[in-house]
Amino acid sequence: MKKFVVIGNSAAGIAAVEAIRKRDTESKVIVISDENYATYCRCLISYFLAGDIKEEKIIYRPESFYKENNIELLLNREVVRVDPKKNRIICNDKVQFDYTSLLIATGASPKIPEIKGLKKRGVFGFRTIENAKSIEGLIPVTKTSCVLGGGLIGLKAAYALKKRNIDVKVIIKSRQVLSQMLDFEAAGFVQRRLEENGIEMVLGQDIQEVIGNGDIKAIKLDSGKVFDSSLVVVAKGVSPNIDLVKETEIKVGEGIIANNLMQTSVPNIYTAGDCAESFDLTAGAYAINALWPVAVEQGKISGANMAGENLNYDGSFGMNSIDFFGLPVISLGIYKLKEDSHGYEELKVSDTKSNIYKKVIIRNNEVVGATFIGDIRNSGIFLRLIRERIDVRTFRDRLLQENFGYPDIMDFVKEKERLYV
Amino acid sequence: MKQLYYDVKKCLGCKSCEIACALAHSVTNELFKALKEEALSLPRKKILHHKGKNYPVSCRHCKDPKCVDACMACALTYDKKAGMVLHDENRCVGCWMCVMVCPYGAIRPNIIKKLPLRCDKCKDKNEPSCVKACPTGAIIWQEEIEVTK
Repeated sequence: MKKFVVIGNSAAGIAAVEAIRKRDTESKVIVISDENYATYCRCLISYFLAGDIKEEKIIYRPESFYKENNIELLLNREVVRVDPKKNRIICNDKVQFDYTSLLIATGASPKIPEIKGLKKRGVFGFRTIENAKSIEGLIPVTKTSCVLGGGLIGLKAAYALKKRNIDVKVIIKSRQVLSQMLDFEAAGFVQRRLEENGIEMVLGQDIQEVIGNGDIKAIKLDSGKVFDSSLVVVAKGVSPNIDLVKETEIKVGEGIIANNLMQTSVPNIYTAGDCAESFDLTAGAYAINALWPVAVEQGKISGANMAGENLNYDGSFGMNSIDFFGLPVISLGIYKLKEDSHGYEELKVSDTKSNIYKKVIIRNNEVVGATFIGDIRNSGIFLRLIRERIDVRTFRDRLLQENFGYPDIMDFVKEKERLYV
Repeated sequence: MKQLYYDVKKCLGCKSCEIACALAHSVTNELFKALKEEALSLPRKKILHHKGKNYPVSCRHCKDPKCVDACMACALTYDKKAGMVLHDENRCVGCWMCVMVCPYGAIRPNIIKKLPLRCDKCKDKNEPSCVKACPTGAIIWQEEIEVTK
């Protein structure tokens, strides 16, 4: 009997087992997770911490999911080693499992920089439900807090803390928020909205030291400034969990390299999600796009292919969507041009009064990036233009017009139109 | 399973379907009262113009729905039996992932309510309200036509 082993129980892992079970109800399927929690909506931990949603809403699949799909779930168990030659994985408790086909969807972990005092009690990453619960436990005794990093996770953590009436400062090394998904001008819109809602941003400065004996009292920045803070959330990016394939023939770059079938360099081992490095359609190079919808897409393809299909994955690209205090923000693909880049065109609408910013980046008559703030209608059309690499020459001038939409692109998309007769 | 089709040659772009849709999803279901409701009911269907023709755009209830895959809160699910993408407002956090991935631009954000606006085929009624509201019969409500690939 075939045996599918999936390491990882989040977006990619679940999408994969669902794709496997859609095609194969007989073979054995094992899911292994190092967390002690059945699958949950990782991206909702900030809403949970904020008090916007109750814990039961964070459950991604019902309890019956594993049983109904005949999946063996092993929690609280870390896979420390993959042995491709013997088709076997080894766990931290020495238990071993063999497999016919393996999916590595181990995700990523928060990067914790080497900073004095950063190992103290009261310093947290913000990645797991456990992180959120630990922070939650300290909320009654917390008045001041700092978030390190102005990316999506950092800002979501700041939002949650603010919602719980805790004074929060976001320490951002760069000169803008969301520097991995917005240009400087666009970031200004988000920053203003956060500041209007009482979140303080400290830009262009980095942390130097966490001060306190045992418990945290304050943080010190490289500028010399000191802020009172009894809680610190570290959100300075994530690194893929790929130690388990070190010194194997599985090829790695920044993450585990996946081909167009989501296969690693070892054919019966697949990878998906935040640990996988796949072709980035807009960058034209391999990259990790550690994003929920990307993980689901990749998981779905991996699972299908593990079960014998031959589905092609065109590639990933950055796709971020978030709402800050009623300001919706969507960023797709390339969001900022390097100073020395050639052959790109930018179309832009920017209106600080009505809080609307829209930008489209075009290369060789194809959209390779789009940013929407305030007005995000039709952003899905742009995602499609990017993914299907549609030539926009004939409707280029309409792209940022108010009534641009699906009818404009329908003659150019891959799928044949069938509702309009 | 029934699906909405559009005879675009007949569509005048009069937006009667938009009004009927907003009304059908209002609290009072009465036009003048609905206009005074605290949160104005918004249509889940929009008429877009292209090369002299009018196209009503709304959720198509895709069989392989990108919005369901992208929903990080598991608020969107696909009901195979009903052939519909369902939305659970209680689970939705308003992250707009669905808006971002809809290949038809058919999900619009209701920023105030923090909920996506999507056609629900007026599932509690016999047929979608837009069908009857269309003065030219451009909106067709019929069993799905299977397309061979």
